[in-house]
Amino acid sequence: MDALLDASLQALRLLFSGDRALWEIVGISFRVSLLALLIATPPAVLLAFALAYGNFPGRRLTIAVFSTLLSVPTVVIGLTLYLIFSRQGPLGEWRLLFTQSAMIVGQIALAFPMLVSIGHSALQAADRRGWETARTLGASPLRALLTIVYEVRFGLLAAVLASFGRIISEVGASMMLGGNILHHTRNIPTAIALETSKGEFAQGIALGIVLLVLAATLNILLHHFQGRGFVGS
Amino acid sequence: MTTLHFRDIYKHYARRPILAGLELCLRTGSCTLLTGANGAGKTTLLRILGGFEKPETFQADTGCEHLNWRRYRKLLQGSVLYLHQQPYMFEGSVRDNLSFALDRSLPKAEREQRIQTALQWAGLDKIADTRAKTLSGGEYQRVALARAWLRKPRILLLDEPTANMDREARNRTISLLRQLRDEGMALLIASHDPDCFSSLVNEHLNLDAGRLQTVTPAPMFVNMSLLQQAS
Repeated sequence: MDALLDASLQALRLLFSGDRALWEIVGISFRVSLLALLIATPPAVLLAFALAYGNFPGRRLTIAVFSTLLSVPTVVIGLTLYLIFSRQGPLGEWRLLFTQSAMIVGQIALAFPMLVSIGHSALQAADRRGWETARTLGASPLRALLTIVYEVRFGLLAAVLASFGRIISEVGASMMLGGNILHHTRNIPTAIALETSKGEFAQGIALGIVLLVLAATLNILLHHFQGRGFVGS
Repeated sequence: MTTLHFRDIYKHYARRPILAGLELCLRTGSCTLLTGANGAGKTTLLRILGGFEKPETFQADTGCEHLNWRRYRKLLQGSVLYLHQQPYMFEGSVRDNLSFALDRSLPKAEREQRIQTALQWAGLDKIADTRAKTLSGGEYQRVALARAWLRKPRILLLDEPTANMDREARNRTISLLRQLRDEGMALLIASHDPDCFSSLVNEHLNLDAGRLQTVTPAPMFVNMSLLQQAS
């Protein structure tokens, strides 16, 4: 019990003293995950929109595939991309393995199905008269799309926040694709796994606190925006 | 008087024909009332003419051009406006909603001036900055009509525009519709309540078994309206 208390106090000291190594890991985590989200969100919203408003062959199958992808373990996605990016893999020439770029690709693969599925649900629940009214008032398809996206912005924001929560805390894909290299690809979850295996609990606990605070913040924001979206609908 | 002639409109749901090759003529500056039992296909016809439902067959004639469905849909943008039974309000104020109906290329000052005129036209100036989604049913309809007034389409399709309205809101809506008609729009109104529009319509059609039948010629409406006023 004393050891746990000591480790926790040390963790708080690390956090509040501005420990460079610790905050560098936090920085890498945020950079990789935010970039992945930035790249994945626009095409995911477009696809979600097409699935919600379009009527094309294979639409239902596509929805089912993305729902299934939500439950694929992160290590399986990590393993698949590892095989693709490894020297013998089809994209081995790109030399992406054990770089932040590979981690970003992995996190895009994790975030995309979630963005599509939750985004599709939000758009599907939106009032169809919004699209029809925009079009009948002379809006181009692009302007009508942007109008609908704005109408369901809280639902889409919920999709983005939930996806961010998923990718910033996943360990499987980041470990396999990034390799947990200090100063380069070591992020919060891979650092926690490593420090714990070494018996160095303080840094692990400190990073865990960062993730917990982040999770709490995201959940509060999520409830806030979902509440506003509900009221606004 | 310009005429848009629709012909050969077929539509069926689950093998049941809803519209069986019907024919319809809409004239600028005139109002056509469309009645029919529940499920007769009034809304379907309006949605087809509004470009939101694809019919099995369709032909339209503007007098100088023959249009198939594809060509009609391309041309209807901006010239045919469909108003839902409960019009949709976008997020934002009444002013924002009116702004949506205007061409974005217009200079800001002109946009604002037109919006102000539309607000006054529809009696919405006191609620111009109110969040549109919080308005009453009658106000919703007036905002929708003000958008139509700004948009100036050739054809205005209205689905039960006075449903669930009190007498005062209904009279205001009809007064606005009359002004739109007199400005040269062709109105097609689907309703269960022909008496409500008797002072407005020029032609009354009834939709039954997928076909349109003329119920009352225009002079009868004038007489009915005068009779109602007298009584």
